[in-house]
Amino acid sequence: MARTIPILLLVIAAVVFPLSVKGIFLDVGIERQLGTVQKIFYFHVPLAWIMMLFGVVCGIAAVIQLRRESRAAEAVAIAAGEMVILTGLGVLITGPIWGHASWGKAWTWDARQVSTGLLWLVFVAYVLVRRYGAAGSERLAAALAIFGAVDVPIIYYAVKIWKTTHPSNNVVGSLPPEMWAALWPALGALLATSIALVMVRARQERAEMDLDDAWVQAEDLGSAGAKGEAT
Amino acid sequence: MRLPRQAWLLAKNDLRQEFRDFELVATAGFFTLVILVMFGLSFASLGRSVQPLAIPGILWLAVAFVGTLTLTRIFDRERESDTLRALLTAPVDRLAIYIAKASVTLLVLLGCSLIIIPGLVFVFPAAGVMFDHPLQTAAVVVLGSTAYAAVGTVFAAGLATSGGKNVLLSVILYPLTSPALLWALLTTRSLLEEHPDMSIFLLQMLALDVLLVSLGGWLFESVLVGGNTSTARARGRRR
Amino acid sequence: MRGTGLTGALLGAPADDAAVDEYEAVEGLSRGDIECQRAHEAIAAKKTASDYQHIVWAYGVLWSLFAIYGVMLLRRGQRLRADVDSLRARIDKA
Repeated sequence: MARTIPILLLVIAAVVFPLSVKGIFLDVGIERQLGTVQKIFYFHVPLAWIMMLFGVVCGIAAVIQLRRESRAAEAVAIAAGEMVILTGLGVLITGPIWGHASWGKAWTWDARQVSTGLLWLVFVAYVLVRRYGAAGSERLAAALAIFGAVDVPIIYYAVKIWKTTHPSNNVVGSLPPEMWAALWPALGALLATSIALVMVRARQERAEMDLDDAWVQAEDLGSAGAKGEAT
Repeated sequence: MRLPRQAWLLAKNDLRQEFRDFELVATAGFFTLVILVMFGLSFASLGRSVQPLAIPGILWLAVAFVGTLTLTRIFDRERESDTLRALLTAPVDRLAIYIAKASVTLLVLLGCSLIIIPGLVFVFPAAGVMFDHPLQTAAVVVLGSTAYAAVGTVFAAGLATSGGKNVLLSVILYPLTSPALLWALLTTRSLLEEHPDMSIFLLQMLALDVLLVSLGGWLFESVLVGGNTSTARARGRRR
Repeated sequence: MRGTGLTGALLGAPADDAAVDEYEAVEGLSRGDIECQRAHEAIAAKKTASDYQHIVWAYGVLWSLFAIYGVMLLRRGQRLRADVDSLRARIDKA
């Protein structure tokens, strides 16, 4: 059962994606001001939402990991953290592409851009600590994830206040209602894909943890056997 | 023993150690001076009207750099003499350790800001506003440094106990302290420009400090207790 | 244009003065202005409509990101399977 859900989700994504692309390109028409480049929007925005979602998931999983010593939660936290990095990269790359094509400026120090970038950095730090940290640093990484998740609204507000006290002229466009219809399929496809990947990754991590334990046990048994005790 | 007394004793111990050879004070102070000189060299040619844009950044980046150095040193000292483990096995409330270490860090940061602020005023004429509003300047510096110390102590301690690599401290600290620094930047800039909303920003920083200190205190224990579990051993195998 | 094709059939034969131009005045603007405006609009529309380069980059980046991650997961899975097999071999030996 657990194996089939990711596959099912990926199949759904594979089906929905062409539909959404069709919707984006054929049904909506070409927006006058921003042209075809605006089509990037339909994937950029859902990616940002998904990034925030998995940031929160990672933070919550980290809390559960610390409070209940839960390995399942730890695995989910790691998988969610990696997905934050993945989607964050997507957002941080497509945003400037869109910005550069639309109004010539790739990085506008807009509140959302900056907070996305900082959140991305926090979760990269999380993955780095997990990978290169010494043996006992899982809890440290979990604390990192929690701080990171809490930081998100703080950073966003700080940057927003900064912008209102020192306003600049860049306006990130919003979407007329008839274009929303094309957004939902794109969100669906991306969400299905990312959830499937996170599930697979979490299961792999769990398997890896159990495998490590099994190896340690095997070595213990092996050394016990070598000392001449009965097996 | 009650929590404040424990924290006070621990902090006093650290300070007493410091007063023996003044290592941390001397090195951190000199480092502050060096940073000030480098920033001065880089930005001295800025026009008067533009300086308020740069000065907050210089101030808080200097605090961040000195903070990283201080935290590294405070916990290195413990690790060298292996006193951290002794401290953890003693019947000491973990929160007291957190408060003690964070307070010592805060003191060092405040001491360094005593060098930075006059230095900034010396190098950049536009910073003179800070001397006109000494109370507000002091408030910004104290609140911002507290936030930095609150977050940094958690992770420095965690890295120290896990036999940690110090390179990771820099990787962790800068992104995580960015909200505190952002707010400090904002408030400092509004101070320099004599913005009317400045006291609101100060209150917000106070709220942020309360949040970060609570979160740090709550997480401190979890971060330290990690260590010799079987998962840790198993992970050690994989490296 | 009046007099040709479907519109001609619908609108009937052109009026008697052949000196009048074969077009229909739109909103009181002269033909020159209309053509000029349409030419400009055509250029702008052509530019924005054919600006595919950025989209290709953006979509390409997104899907290669996911694809790379997928490949990483696959390779991880293979490594894990190999690890399980070696562990099994070791247990069987003991």
